[in-house]
Amino acid sequence: MSPGLRRLYMPRPVAVEADAGGRPVAVEGVAVEAIREEWLLEDRWWTLKPMRRHYFELALADGRDLTVFRSAVSGRWYRQRA
Amino acid sequence: MEIACALLGEDTLALDSVEIAERTERALRELEGIGAAVESERPGEVFFALDGLRGLHGGDAAGVLRAARAAIGAAVRIASGPTRFDAWLRASGRRAPVPVSALAGRLGVSEREGAELTAALRRLGIETLADLAALSPDRIADRFGPVGLRALRLARGEDDPPQPRAAHEELAADLELPEGAAGAQLDRALELLVDRLLADPRRRGRTVLALRLGALLSAGGSWSVDQGLARPTASALALRSVLGPRLEALPGPASSLRLRALSLGPRVGDQLELSLRGEEHRRRRLGEAIREVRAAQGGEALLEVLPLDPRSRFPERRAVLTPTAPSR
Repeated sequence: MSPGLRRLYMPRPVAVEADAGGRPVAVEGVAVEAIREEWLLEDRWWTLKPMRRHYFELALADGRDLTVFRSAVSGRWYRQRA
Repeated sequence: MEIACALLGEDTLALDSVEIAERTERALRELEGIGAAVESERPGEVFFALDGLRGLHGGDAAGVLRAARAAIGAAVRIASGPTRFDAWLRASGRRAPVPVSALAGRLGVSEREGAELTAALRRLGIETLADLAALSPDRIADRFGPVGLRALRLARGEDDPPQPRAAHEELAADLELPEGAAGAQLDRALELLVDRLLADPRRRGRTVLALRLGALLSAGGSWSVDQGLARPTASALALRSVLGPRLEALPGPASSLRLRALSLGPRVGDQLELSLRGEEHRRRRLGEAIREVRAAQGGEALLEVLPLDPRSRFPERRAVLTPTAPSR
């Protein structure tokens, strides 16, 4: 990326507790009230650095609406404005 | 066809041109109120056809003339005849033999040209309309051309039928001026008048085709000017820019200003000049502000969102932040 350019909506690491099925139950200690929507994104599967994300749009107990995803490649959780 | 001519009373002679025009306009509207299709080519004078009005007002011409007289109210002389010219002769009290000088102002040319023609006729011994009517068109055409033929037609009782104006509502705005108003105060007054005129609900979104700007002068008397527009508009800016220079012709301090829409056009929402100017103004001010901030805070101080792939499923691919271009 050119100097001076900054990407918007970059994923940020976040602490998520998930149940046995891999579905979030708390984000940074705040309980998940509901999963509004979930979807899968896959890209670059033909390269050595494939992208595979499992997104969840969550309603948290404190009223926030938050979108998180789990990277199937790294196994880490991220939040992201979607 | 029978034509009626209404001449506003003798007292109008004592009035100035603006007041006569105002009275004429009132008379036109009153006559339109009784169903007449009116024509008025000069202040103080109105023509209308009686055909079609008899059934509304007593069944005969006398009934229509009575209704017209009652509608106008003020001192008015009304008479009817087979042509406009004949009706005018009767209303103005002329009786046969009518001198050719009566034609002077009725030939569709300037008063001076009309007077020259009638003077030439009299030099040739043609004193009355009857004398003129007896001459052959060829002789008149040879000697006096189209104006002479027009005079001959009138003398022979031939005339074009009235061409009535399109009936319209009164759309005008008045403003009293403070004593000694001039310069910027007049400009501000004109701005208010234009805004009031355009805000009048009777305009119903229609554009303006022609305007009359008038003033009552502090020293007595009045002044007015008619202004046609190159294209129909309802833009306050366009009207002000056209009327503003006309105010410079005001002969003296005015006690009030009046703006009247003489003719209305189709409905159009044409505020383009305003919006374009506003956009340009905004862009220029924004450019100046950006230059100032960049000079004070550095090139990275101002960023803008640059869309890359707005519909990407991966949010981080949709847009980037980039320093605002100096030229913006």
